[in-house]
Amino acid sequence: MINELKQQIERLRNAGATYVDARWYPLEESSDLTMWNGNLKNATASRESGVGVRVLYKGAWGFSASSDISQLAGLFDKAFDNARVAAERVTFPVRLAEKDAIQASFTSPNEIDPFTVELSEKVDFLKEMDSLMNQSGVVQRASGMTFMKKQIIFVDSEGSEIEKKIIEVFPAIQVMGVDAQGVTHTRKYQPGRIGATRGWETMDRKLFTDNAARIVKELNEVLVAEDCPRDTRSVILLPGIMFLQTHETIGHALELDRILGYELAYAGGSFVRLEDFGKLQYGSSKLTARADATLPNTPGSFGYDDDGIPAQNNLLIDKGLLVGAITGRQMVEEANAKARKPIFNGSGGANRATSFYRVPIERMTNINIDFGTDGTLDDIVKNTEKGVILDGEKSWSIGSNREQFHFATDIGWVVEDGEVKHVVKNATYRGETVKFYNSLTAVGDESTWEVQYVDNCGKGQPNQVMQLGHGVPVCRFDNVTIGE
Amino acid sequence: MKEKILNILGELRQYAINKGISAAFFYHEEDSYLMRFANSAISLNTNEHLVRLEITTYDGRKRAEYQMITDLNQVEQMKAGIDTAAEMMKHTQPLSYDPTIPLYTETYADESSYDQALAQLSNEEKLAYFNQAAEGLETGEITLSGIFSSGTNITAQINTRSEHTQYFKSSDAQVNLVLSHGAQKWEILAEQSAQQKADLDPAAVHSELAFLSHVYTTTVPQQIPVGTYDIVLGSAAIGDLLDLMNWIGFSGGMMKRGFSFTTQEQVGKPVFSEKFTLVDDPTRRETFPYKRDVSGIERKPFPLFTRGVFDGYTWVQDDADEYGAQPTGHTVMHKSLVLHCGDQPVDSLEALVSMPREKDLLYIPYLHYMNIVNPSRGLITGSSRFGALLLKKDGSVAVPFNVRLTQSLLDIFGEKLQWLSSTEKIANTSMSYGARNPKAIVLPAFIRVNGLEISHSNSAF
Ligand SMILES: [Zn+2]
Repeated sequence: MINELKQQIERLRNAGATYVDARWYPLEESSDLTMWNGNLKNATASRESGVGVRVLYKGAWGFSASSDISQLAGLFDKAFDNARVAAERVTFPVRLAEKDAIQASFTSPNEIDPFTVELSEKVDFLKEMDSLMNQSGVVQRASGMTFMKKQIIFVDSEGSEIEKKIIEVFPAIQVMGVDAQGVTHTRKYQPGRIGATRGWETMDRKLFTDNAARIVKELNEVLVAEDCPRDTRSVILLPGIMFLQTHETIGHALELDRILGYELAYAGGSFVRLEDFGKLQYGSSKLTARADATLPNTPGSFGYDDDGIPAQNNLLIDKGLLVGAITGRQMVEEANAKARKPIFNGSGGANRATSFYRVPIERMTNINIDFGTDGTLDDIVKNTEKGVILDGEKSWSIGSNREQFHFATDIGWVVEDGEVKHVVKNATYRGETVKFYNSLTAVGDESTWEVQYVDNCGKGQPNQVMQLGHGVPVCRFDNVTIGE
Repeated sequence: MKEKILNILGELRQYAINKGISAAFFYHEEDSYLMRFANSAISLNTNEHLVRLEITTYDGRKRAEYQMITDLNQVEQMKAGIDTAAEMMKHTQPLSYDPTIPLYTETYADESSYDQALAQLSNEEKLAYFNQAAEGLETGEITLSGIFSSGTNITAQINTRSEHTQYFKSSDAQVNLVLSHGAQKWEILAEQSAQQKADLDPAAVHSELAFLSHVYTTTVPQQIPVGTYDIVLGSAAIGDLLDLMNWIGFSGGMMKRGFSFTTQEQVGKPVFSEKFTLVDDPTRRETFPYKRDVSGIERKPFPLFTRGVFDGYTWVQDDADEYGAQPTGHTVMHKSLVLHCGDQPVDSLEALVSMPREKDLLYIPYLHYMNIVNPSRGLITGSSRFGALLLKKDGSVAVPFNVRLTQSLLDIFGEKLQWLSSTEKIANTSMSYGARNPKAIVLPAFIRVNGLEISHSNSAF
């Protein structure tokens, strides 16, 4: 099969294509289990396989994909035809940044392949979690686990041949209750990186048992809590919401395709302009952010991206100053040309596709905030006069250029004069991105730093979902509008 | 093709019967094309042909499912999928209720939503459409983005309870064009939905874009004060709000799970303004309708809210089984929502702008990145995008920077609802996550809602 792909690539090169690659997924498997109030509502397994072909011709992209690999030549021809038509409307001919031809492989770290574990064992795990959450105050309880396993073979016209084998595990538990006003509240637990590997071994009973008890307790506190006040005060974001804050207002804002206007028909643009690199004070000096695809064991570390570029650890924001972006081969060339200076030194290795039937686009790797020197969560609380600690993503809505945002969280704890006072419900906060990050006044130490996973980041047309990670500490921001 | 698909489904059914397995099969085939524009170029031209098969096996109260992306030459792989689902089922646990396997009493096929001319539109025709719709509107600074998404969707079902099949085939196109200014960063949008080739009207898109573009290039954008406004929402914004309502408003299962702003006690009582009448109407071809649901129930117009009064919940088969309700013919990939028009004669944005007004009106065509802040309260938030206008009471027009609206659907469609336009529009709300599922809502081109609060106002685009 690989040889046939290479022959087809060679054939299109000879026919005038400037670049061709193929991603062959011999087998991608997934499995989904959902238990709702003790009912195993969903026990689904799935498989898919197929090939996606990308062709660059006269500066324009064509792509074609099919699950039927018996007609390879036809598939390559279709991709080429698509590129030929696209070449009729080109404004900035696509160029790809230089790269080395690579023959390599990558396997994500795991001890126990979850697909080797009996279904009954998985169901037993969910039953156990379900009964642990079946407590007073809880009217709805849900638990679920998703497993993915994919093999991807990448071949391109520049001589690269890369094989990737990736396993993902995404479990979650949640409880819901109704307060005296009839409003539903939720608390959930979704483990991120909890060890050196991410196979079935991460389904740690003790960890889930402890967290099930915690979320039940916190839900019951929320149910009798007063509303979050309408106020302006400090917010202390725990990793359970800081990851999403980072995702939405640093990650998406710094995708170079968004900055260059390639997502304007759907996901949106970015307030960041090319002239901002090296100049914009994105945040206070306490803010250092990076795109780190070398962090071991997260969905944002995948060895090689779908341009065939090796994983990198790149600074995005250095002590508050904007210095980098999330990049692939195409966009760095265009950005450097449009800026009339070299902002980016080659691809950042962040071009990824969700499946064989989608084209790679710039995607977050692990978009992390470096931990700081402001101590533990307790230390930060002690140094906060008037604030609210927030945790748990409930809703998120962001301006189309990522310039402003509104988040709601599952729980809040009011802080007054350096002490945690009481729980509040219906907590929300909003802000303007640059102003918000410049009000970052405390960054927790390593004890507060956690890697959270995102399994459903949506972007692109046709739409794609992607899995990635965020390593974030506890962060405090001052003068934030809450309760709206 | 239809013959081949139904024959294979029949063969799979027989295989399951021979093995003593109760099973239901859901077939989905898409032929999808998407031409994407950015920076005035075609940034991607793509197509996918995908065949999906979902196999659900049943044993009393036990159930398991196996899904695959496959192709019609892989019948053995499909049969293996039946075995896998049956094997999984042994290791699942019984539900607390009896899941229903549909009983199809006759063979049914509906290809009335399929238009070959639209489905087989050529690359050249799509490019010509875009060139015409954007003609003369692009400059060095103002560039074109957008999509032309089109394709064919086939779904088919069979199960081991009877030899009858259901088969549905539709064609669809979703077009949007965005003009954006490189330095000023404003963006304007025009959209079109098509079920047949004759629905495509690039001239209409051009005229909408040309009007907005003229206003945006001749007006200096400004930050507007936060506070209370009378707001006119355009069709894209109304469509997305109704899409959210479909999620948290009248789904029986969502209500039972605590994700709804309506309660069972409200059935038969007023919830919204008496100007608000919402129906699930599969007779409207523009909605890419399913005339039967997966349970085999014939779908007829189903009232959801009549003059503001809540008519009742929709129930998909599995929720109905679980909660002891009657299924309502809503086990479908999408409903066919129709919001009835009102009596305000305003048929275009130009007409809206020139309408006499007693106070300032804020026109919001589109709400970006809406999310549900509090489902029990119907509270949603989102930001304006793509061509908002501040229509001043003195007749002049200003261009506002984007604003954030955090409001309850109960307010937007409740007593604050002032009027609905008498002109109808189609809002195509399709997404391309997962299997192709074209959907659109028929609605008034504009609605006016008085006294909504703007909680945040941008100081730039
Ligand atoms: Zn995302």
